[in-house]
Order: sequence, then structure tokens, then C-alpha cells
Amino acid sequence: MTLPKGFGSGGAGGSSSADVERMIGRRVENMTGIITVSFWAAWLATFGGTAAGYFYYPWAYPTPSGHYAFIVLTIIEAIGYIFCVKVMEEGSNKNSNGIVAVSIAAVAVGTVLISLYVGN
Amino acid sequence: MTLIVAMAQMPALIPKEVEIQRLKKIWLIVIAMGSTAASVEVDNFVDGSLHQTSIRDSAFTPAHWWLYSHFVALPLGWGAAAIYDRKVPILRGPNNSMNTGLKMTILGYLATMFTIGVNEMWHFWFVEEIFAVPNHWMFNMGVVVAFMGALAYVVRVYARLVELGAETPGENPYVAEMYKMALEGKLYSRSIP
Repeated sequence: MTLPKGFGSGGAGGSSSADVERMIGRRVENMTGIITVSFWAAWLATFGGTAAGYFYYPWAYPTPSGHYAFIVLTIIEAIGYIFCVKVMEEGSNKNSNGIVAVSIAAVAVGTVLISLYVGN
Repeated sequence: MTLIVAMAQMPALIPKEVEIQRLKKIWLIVIAMGSTAASVEVDNFVDGSLHQTSIRDSAFTPAHWWLYSHFVALPLGWGAAAIYDRKVPILRGPNNSMNTGLKMTILGYLATMFTIGVNEMWHFWFVEEIFAVPNHWMFNMGVVVAFMGALAYVVRVYARLVELGAETPGENPYVAEMYKMALEGKLYSRSIP
């Protein structure tokens, strides 16, 4: 197989597994850490967004509406997170169900506590 | 001279494993943007609730931050997909240009971004927030064009993952037959050889 410039054995044909690894770079099944961090960042940013309603615009953005938005968004983000990790790890030997379960459970508890105790 | 069109039989220009990894990286971007787009469905209700309180509000109320920031975030996300997309030969468009679905998506969302300005200018004189006023038209048309392009692109990426054996086609025999026909280049039209 012909490889892009800079890969392979200089016209002699054939590609080694080292070339393939170099073309791939970081494998998607090893991205669970950054995906998890991104999920947490997205969830905290979501709280930041609804907090603008709780504390800065309570006249226009009633707290129950903010809690509704926060809960639904958390569900959407959790589905995206699970989907990302499961699709990236399928077909490999990796299994991060523990990390995913801990993250989702923590976020679920956090969402309930925020909905109960934060806001006016 | 006979022109042979083999729709699904593209030559393998990069190793299969490399292509699967790259397609999955594109898929990651797509899932993130899908979550963003889904969140804006929630904002429809939040924005409606806000407009019941104040008929015409400013561009800088929470429901509008949420709405407008997604018109910025999605074009940037699709731009990132377009840059990375160049590494996957099967996703090239006509004459080695950008994928047609991606072109439509980026143009559609750019239209919605420009409509933010149009919208603010209109509302300087007219306060009503009726859905069908002309300044809102380009929002809706832009989003529809973007969705059509995005669907074409996402389906292509997924179909290629199926072709490469990284994803399993449906177990429904009718769906499986569709995949088989697609792989033989017979799904879209039986009249064009």
C-alpha cells in the first residue's frame, strides 16, 4: 500500500506496523481520560450558565426553570459521555465502565443536591 | 470507452486501522456537537419562558447566551471536523475539495451567525417577537441547510465505519440487505449502472 510522504520505506513498498502506529497517533481507546475531564468541564460550565439565572437574572429566569434546564442538560451530557467512551473503546481490550459509572453517579448526586439547595 | 462507476469500492489509500481511528476521532467531534445541538432544544423552552416575562429582551439574557453561543460553537466544531477530515481520503468532496455535506453545514451555520446581526437590527425598530417575522427566516433556513448537510456527512462517516467492519450493521434482515446493496453500489439507484 502506498503511504503518504514521510512514511514507509521510500518507494520500496510496504508499510510496517511502526508506520501505522505513527499515522494513528493517540489511539481513541486511550482517550477516556480526556473525555471524562471534558464531561466534567461541560457539566460545571452548565452549572455556571444556569447560575447566571439563579443569581444574576432571577427576575427573568426563575430558579425552577434553571433547574429544569440544568437537569435536562446533565442528562444530555451524560448520554454523550457514555456514547463517546463506549464507541471509542469498542473493538479494543479497554474497559472503563468503572470510571464512567463513578462519574455518572457523582454527577447524578450533584445534580439532585444542586436542584434541591441552590437558587432562590 | 466505458465508464465504470463503483460507488462503494473506493481504493484503500490509507491503512484500514488508521482510517478507523481517524473516523472515530471525527465521530467524537460529532457526538460532542450533537450534545450541544440537543441542549438547544432545551433552550427553546427556556427562551419561550423568558419571552413570556419580557416580550423583547436584550441579546445578553441567559436564554440568548445559550442560543447564540451555539451558533458560534457549532461552526467552530464543524470547522475543526473539516480540518481533520482532510486526513480521510474517502470523505473528500468533488475535485478533492471539502466534503459536500460539510460545506452545507458550515454555510448553514454561518448564515445563522450573520442572522444574529440582522435580528438585532430589525428589533431596534420592531419589538415584537413573532416567530414568522422576516428577520427570523434566515435562522430557520440556515439551520435546516446545516442539518441536511450534517446528516449527509454523519451518515457517510458511519457507513464507512460499517464498510470497514468497525461497526456492526443492523440485525434486521431488511437493514442488513440495504447495507449489502450499498456495499455493491446498488442502494441509491438501480437505473444508473
